[in-house]
Amino acid sequence: MNTPIRRLAFVLLAVFGIIVLDLTYLQVVAGPRYRDDVRNPRLAASRSSTERGPIVTREGVVVAESTAGPGSAQGFVRSYPEGPLYAHAVGYSSLLFGNAALEQEYSRTLSSDSDLTISGIIDALLGREQGAQGIRLTLSHSVQQVARDALAGQTGAVVAIEPSTGEVLALYSSPSFDPSDLLGDSPVGGDALTADPAEPLRDRTTDQILAPGSAFKIVTAAAALERGVANPDTRYPDPVELELPGSTAVIRNADRGPCADGVEVAFATAFRRSCNTVFGQIGMDVGAEGLGEIADAFGFNGEVPFDLPVVASAFATATLLGDAPATAQSAIGQRDVQATPLQMAIVAAAVANNGVVMRPYLVSESFDRDLTILAQTSPLELRRAVSPGTASVLTDLMHDAVESGTGRAARIDGVFVAGKTGTAEVPGSAPHAWFAGFGTSESQAIAVAVVVENGGAAGAAGTGGGVAAPIARRVIAAWLAAG
Amino acid sequence: MSRNAEAALLAGAAVLAALGIAIVTAAVGDRPGAQTALTFVVVALSFGSLHLALRQWAPKASPYLLPLAALITTVGLVEIYRLDPRAASLQRWWLLIAAAFGVATLALLARSGTEWLLRYRYLFLTAAIALFLLPLLPSSWPLGGLEVNGSRLWLQLRLFDTTLMRFQPGEIAKVLLVVFLASYLASRQAVLTTLTRRLGPVSMPEPRQLFPLAAAWGVSLIVLVYQRDLGASLLLLTVFAAMLYAATGRVIYPVVGGGLFLLGTVVAARMFDHVQRRFDAWLRPWDDFADSGFQIGQSLFALGSGSLTGSGLGLGRPDFIPSATTDFVFAAVAEETGLAGSLAIVAAYGLLATVGFGIALRARDPHRKLLAAGLTAVIAIQTILIIGGVIRLLPLTGIALPFMSYGGSALVANMIAVVVLARISHEVAP
Repeated sequence: MNTPIRRLAFVLLAVFGIIVLDLTYLQVVAGPRYRDDVRNPRLAASRSSTERGPIVTREGVVVAESTAGPGSAQGFVRSYPEGPLYAHAVGYSSLLFGNAALEQEYSRTLSSDSDLTISGIIDALLGREQGAQGIRLTLSHSVQQVARDALAGQTGAVVAIEPSTGEVLALYSSPSFDPSDLLGDSPVGGDALTADPAEPLRDRTTDQILAPGSAFKIVTAAAALERGVANPDTRYPDPVELELPGSTAVIRNADRGPCADGVEVAFATAFRRSCNTVFGQIGMDVGAEGLGEIADAFGFNGEVPFDLPVVASAFATATLLGDAPATAQSAIGQRDVQATPLQMAIVAAAVANNGVVMRPYLVSESFDRDLTILAQTSPLELRRAVSPGTASVLTDLMHDAVESGTGRAARIDGVFVAGKTGTAEVPGSAPHAWFAGFGTSESQAIAVAVVVENGGAAGAAGTGGGVAAPIARRVIAAWLAAG
Repeated sequence: MSRNAEAALLAGAAVLAALGIAIVTAAVGDRPGAQTALTFVVVALSFGSLHLALRQWAPKASPYLLPLAALITTVGLVEIYRLDPRAASLQRWWLLIAAAFGVATLALLARSGTEWLLRYRYLFLTAAIALFLLPLLPSSWPLGGLEVNGSRLWLQLRLFDTTLMRFQPGEIAKVLLVVFLASYLASRQAVLTTLTRRLGPVSMPEPRQLFPLAAAWGVSLIVLVYQRDLGASLLLLTVFAAMLYAATGRVIYPVVGGGLFLLGTVVAARMFDHVQRRFDAWLRPWDDFADSGFQIGQSLFALGSGSLTGSGLGLGRPDFIPSATTDFVFAAVAEETGLAGSLAIVAAYGLLATVGFGIALRARDPHRKLLAAGLTAVIAIQTILIIGGVIRLLPLTGIALPFMSYGGSALVANMIAVVVLARISHEVAP
């Protein structure tokens, strides 16, 4: 009887052996595949239930925080006390829709997940803080609120930057959304936002490029000055229509008349009055290569190093080479040039900062539970866009445009404000209203870019000077008053 | 290994239980307290009294059985506590009850040994069949049946609409059937081995000799099919076939048993929706993930998330696994302790089976050999069926993982089986 018992034992133990092999395969070889399967509820749970650090503005206003959920030992609930105000900058951390914006880019810092990188392990061994860290934004609560209020529900965006550091003071995209609508177990709120034709989820400050119109003349003027093609007193003919060589197309001014007396006009006057005829000519004089070189120096056609993903602004130098009519049209911010509001704010900030482009940033520091600062962001010079001399001339030109030109609506008594308006033609629709400029007081400075799509509330009558400049004025005033 | 070493290992299991509960408590941020002490005391008391009973009534018994059972019980108790502290406190009571049954069994066998089991075999058969039938009592009676998840396996005792106790009598019946079979097969070994009749190309024993066997098999299967418990019928068929093979050395029995089993499952799959769904879930879990494949899918996610070293006790999410304290307790342990822990558990079961079969090989006579082999096979096959189901090696069947799953009936039954094994090992040398 022992032989069959021995065989029986052998068969059963062999099955145990098969179990051992299968378990090893399931837990180790195929394990990661099961662990990372989207249907594994642990993934969503680890996002929603772990504590994430708070996000505060530069003044300390809490814009995102985690609180222990009711009645559960380990669950934390993310909340956004300021609702739609910081939605595009801060984003959301959602069970169903994942992470977005800073909640995504700074997820490792914010979440308390233990860090299994080499440095994380060393930190753990040295007893360094591993828990959920908070981050402080460069955004100013007062400026951000003014940006929202000034846009007044119109579709558009406001970006404000401190020129000397690159700190982003305001980043608001309209229409906005309440991040709370994407939280919770039901996808209804998020699905509605995704389906909304007004695209409230789109960050219009960084994720959308539009023709900048005449606001781009800052770049064209910079190229002309840097190349020595023109100075403020250079005189240009003043036709009603600029005829483009080898083309039947012409360039006209906004009022369809001449820029000045119809005979001759100075470069400075043409900038102040935003004359397309003159800047079309200047564009052809400088050439696509010269324009492209300066545009690139300001940050066009390249990756913008920022805390959020940024769509590259475009100046299509290569396609413009040898195409004088297209170059003329691009020199006035139409046709082959498109920019994000962030890029136009960088242009204005560089002019205000003596021609040096600073890396823009949204997060100034991270801190632990005891509010001890763990890491700080230092301002970083990216590159020089134009010489200090050119920057100085541009500043005067832009100041004149606000004092007595198209940008008068941005003027503030007793404050130095410089800027350039833009009214970008959109085929078949009302034009986009732009303003790019800056304001300075003795101790403070702020560069601003504003875009209001399709003229905003003013519709087809909306211009950069009429719609965008007043918004910039309020944003500049808010920051300089706060300082 | 001596009895003293056994005592030391059992004390180690009690310490392990306390440590486990303390870790689980600390994982949710609480201070270990009364639960830790209580679990330590219950494990120490239960296995301590079994140990003393062995010293008293079976001093020559194998010292390996109790420590292995204690280790597995402890891991199960900690995981159950981690998932459902209320269930764990019930399970502690069941552990005390199981230990009491174990001590009583040893006391009962002390005088006349396992011979006694041989003598009353038809009593055991009758008792087994009666226990299988009990859940079919009307649910409205104070002692009545209860249907859970499409299977009518439960017996509940109610008084004034309050459920006092729930029990699965089938768990005890399995052990009693093995006791009957061992005794019956031992006495009929010769006639069953002599294949005198031929049915076509197949040799078979006198049909008359097979009749009581077929009756026992048939009745238990009919009851099980009626109660819709695929796992238990699969278990019984396998154990019957294994014991017949052990008794006769004739491969024809497992082959016929396997054929009957395949036939039975095909019929069951046709007849019962829930059996069909289990097969679908086994073969194509991802096709219908939201419904039939959900359970096994959650189990695989748990195993994969556990990886090599696990999430740590109390730090995983085994609460996502359905029936995590019962059918899927192995997946829960595998998630929190990783491959390291899950392989250790499989090794413990493998050792338990090895020790059990070793006792069978050294046992004094055919009756004891068959009884030891049968009891070991019951434990090993249950383990294989449910772990195999949880890791999708086999279709999922609702069977308790011996000593580990939450559930009192199975714990009592398996404790009795281990204690009888210990008694057989004591009786090796005259």
